[in-house]
Amino acid sequence: MMSIAKLRKMLDTRQISAIELTQAYLNKIKEVDIKINSYISVCEESAAGAAKEAQKLIDEGKASFLTGIPISVKDNICTLGIKTTCASKMLEDFVPIYDATVVQKLKAVGAVILGKTNMDEFAMGGSSQTSYFGCVRNPYDTSRVSGGSSGGAAASVSAGLCAGALGSDTGGSVRQPASFCGVTGLKPTYGAVSRYGLIAFASSLDQIGPIAYSAEDCGGILNVIAGYDENDATSAKRTQNSFGGKIGMSLKGMKIGIPKEFFGNGIHDEVKSAVLSAADFYRQAGCELVDVSMPSLEYAVSAYYLISSAEAASNLSRYDGIKFGYRSTNGESYEELVKNTRREGFGEEVKHRILLGNYALSSGYYDAYYNNASKIRTQIKKEYNDIFAQCDCILTPTAPTVAYRIGEFENDPVKMYLADICTVTVNIAGLPAISTTCGYDSAGMPIGMSIVGKAFGEAEIIAAADAFEKQFARQEAVL
Amino acid sequence: MRYIPVIGLEIHAEMLTHSKVFCTCSAEFGGEENSRVCPRCAGLPGTLPVLNQGAVTLAAKAGFALDCTVNPYSAFDRKNYFYPDLPKAYQITQFEKPICTDGKVNIRGKDIRINRIHIEEDAGKLIHDEYEGISFADYNRCGVPLIEIVTEPDLRSADEAKEFVEEVALRLKYAGVCDARMEQGSLRVDVNISLMPYGSSEFGTRAEIKNLNSLKSIVRAIEYEIERQTEILDKGEKVVQETRRFNDNHGNTKALRSKEEAHDYRYFPEPDIPPVLFSEAELSAIRESMPEMPQKRFERYTKEYGLPEKDAELLIGDKDLSDFYDAAARCNPSYKAIANLVLVELLRNLNDSGMCISDVKFSPANLAQIVKLSDEGKISKNAAKDILKILFESGGDPLEIAKANNLIMESDASALESIIDKVIAENADSVESYKSGNQKVFGFLMGQVVKEAGKGANPQLARDLLMKKLAD
Repeated sequence: MMSIAKLRKMLDTRQISAIELTQAYLNKIKEVDIKINSYISVCEESAAGAAKEAQKLIDEGKASFLTGIPISVKDNICTLGIKTTCASKMLEDFVPIYDATVVQKLKAVGAVILGKTNMDEFAMGGSSQTSYFGCVRNPYDTSRVSGGSSGGAAASVSAGLCAGALGSDTGGSVRQPASFCGVTGLKPTYGAVSRYGLIAFASSLDQIGPIAYSAEDCGGILNVIAGYDENDATSAKRTQNSFGGKIGMSLKGMKIGIPKEFFGNGIHDEVKSAVLSAADFYRQAGCELVDVSMPSLEYAVSAYYLISSAEAASNLSRYDGIKFGYRSTNGESYEELVKNTRREGFGEEVKHRILLGNYALSSGYYDAYYNNASKIRTQIKKEYNDIFAQCDCILTPTAPTVAYRIGEFENDPVKMYLADICTVTVNIAGLPAISTTCGYDSAGMPIGMSIVGKAFGEAEIIAAADAFEKQFARQEAVL
Repeated sequence: MRYIPVIGLEIHAEMLTHSKVFCTCSAEFGGEENSRVCPRCAGLPGTLPVLNQGAVTLAAKAGFALDCTVNPYSAFDRKNYFYPDLPKAYQITQFEKPICTDGKVNIRGKDIRINRIHIEEDAGKLIHDEYEGISFADYNRCGVPLIEIVTEPDLRSADEAKEFVEEVALRLKYAGVCDARMEQGSLRVDVNISLMPYGSSEFGTRAEIKNLNSLKSIVRAIEYEIERQTEILDKGEKVVQETRRFNDNHGNTKALRSKEEAHDYRYFPEPDIPPVLFSEAELSAIRESMPEMPQKRFERYTKEYGLPEKDAELLIGDKDLSDFYDAAARCNPSYKAIANLVLVELLRNLNDSGMCISDVKFSPANLAQIVKLSDEGKISKNAAKDILKILFESGGDPLEIAKANNLIMESDASALESIIDKVIAENADSVESYKSGNQKVFGFLMGQVVKEAGKGANPQLARDLLMKKLAD
């Protein structure tokens, strides 16, 4: 596993050509991915073509951070002419006729897209086990899950099958798999990155974010993909920051909130102690640790599942077999055709969420469910505001446990939902957060910590994560 | 028993934006099937709606035109239902926070209250091949911006409803919001109607008749419903709350779905579109940019232009005609004469040819010039009609037409004088007879003058000159 920063130097000093670099990654995918199933599609031809173009840019002295760098893209981000399946039978053969804004931006700087990564179906899940194309396995232990929903993205970075990845994060889907796979994942502020071309799960929570070897690399990718997009009315009109701009600055005097609810009973002891020892690192670096509180955390998972499922139920209604995607061959009437298409085309988890979402929105239940969830959303935002009145960022575990065994929660979905407790509030409040590895448990599985920032405070949390990473010895996955 | 009909309307009006409400496809009517479709309005996965600010401005103008409050904060919601003409399987609309509220329109001295106006997107069209048993979807209309105008149940008869729709359509046209072409579906009406016994103040159970696309069908549907519901109530039975469809061929309404079968639309806030915000300054800028509304124009015509009320009303009732008149009146301030030519001759020609004012081959300036020629005594009243007819048929310049057709009246006194001298010299007997008191001979002599001078002779001038010469 090599950082983009290092690869950049190698490319710029002609130690390796972009073509060779891409080929090396493609070879490794062929050799290794069979063990972890991180890719749904590998685009050998277009990647080789892009590498050639990238080398031209390098030769002309027009290279920037991602020129010639092999990147993977989550399979819910539309790529022109390349299948974009959302890991669903419903979109098994769906080939977009346009590029997502982030993909356009990657292409514009000469990044090389290696392929499309595996995920939970329609990004619904935290383990990448709901994929129609089989589950993603953890590079540290292939009997364990990769996390999700961007499990393929995180595993592809962790196993060295790309130099960086684009994932998407609706309730933790970038940070949690990054944590499980021992890499770094950044969920940007809502509106920082255009969602145009991201196949919607829950529109008010979805954000595309980078997964990479380091915080510095995540910042470099974010520099490319962030920015206002007229195609996304929810994207923020801000002049782009240099997201890596604060790296190396002294942390002295930084106030880090430690919210006690995130270190409660549900959090595994080894996770707790690893995150708290990272907190100790920050204290020694001159930061002030502040005890803070988020009383509404106990309602967060419920609110998250109601809001995200309600939006998902609506967003996924367009898959009716009429215009694109899977169409059932059974059904005499329009109603039957739609029913059978959706029955056959969606997996179980997706159907659960559609049912839940429609129930929460249906007349007579709207106030009790959707409306109350919206109230909790307002309350959580307020509690974050209160916390940020006292501190610059917040430190929490990324997940209550390390990566668990494949199939472990098969009969207890609610338990799996509850595992999102550490990540969902960030999406609910639209804030940025970065997860990086802060330790390993007794079995050698990575433990992740998350640093949550103020809205558009990506540069600060990247700098804080980078400071930790610079002194932390990563243990690479061996496949 | 006698009942009072209680009627409320929902008027759907397509707004006159160039592009659709959430994408840049053309919003024009028609076009080859699915030729005005992009990934956005086809609802392709990953696409997002981007609100057309032009549509927002027009909706605000509709609000001002109908005396509404235009709200500084409004927001979009999703209305979820499956139908093959709706590619996303939800319609983006405004449910909780519409852009306009609390309006009113005065009809026959009575205020009809408007509950709200909201912005929404139109759906596509389905084309059924009954013979083959296949249906096709045309998404050209998907995403065309609509406003829905919802009234309070203040209307009490079919005629009132018709008059209200006419007035709303006229105001929307003047405001530049909608062309109100019901035959093209750019204005469609849903009627909610119930009956209430005389003397009662409690509304009955209503039926909703969907998608009426002509004034005539609105009237017929309401009249049919009044009859149908009266019969039910007279039998002591209850009207069922339901949605009904009007059949134009049979002139009746048929149940579509009952209240129990009604969709649960599962409305919730549209997360892809931020709320629509107006500052005070923005609202007053829109208000100031409002075109002249019918009432104002009526006052201008009657007070400034001195037109009779009847003429002013006739002109204003047809916005295109009125605009044409205005443009002509700007070229030539003979307001009344121009109004006469427009209301009599122009309308006659339009009716005879079955054309619209927008189809004519000549400009308002051409028409103004005809009136000018007539004012100046260069052509006769009859010639003005003839020139207009020629303009109508083949266009051209009125003066050229007048010349080419020998319609310019000879107003050159010396030329006429010599003609008269000649006539007098050649008809010495008649002149003698006239001078000795035979007045009838004057007509004969006048006829000779006209014969010599041609049709273009200014008759008044010729008459005066002839009299003078004969008196010498």
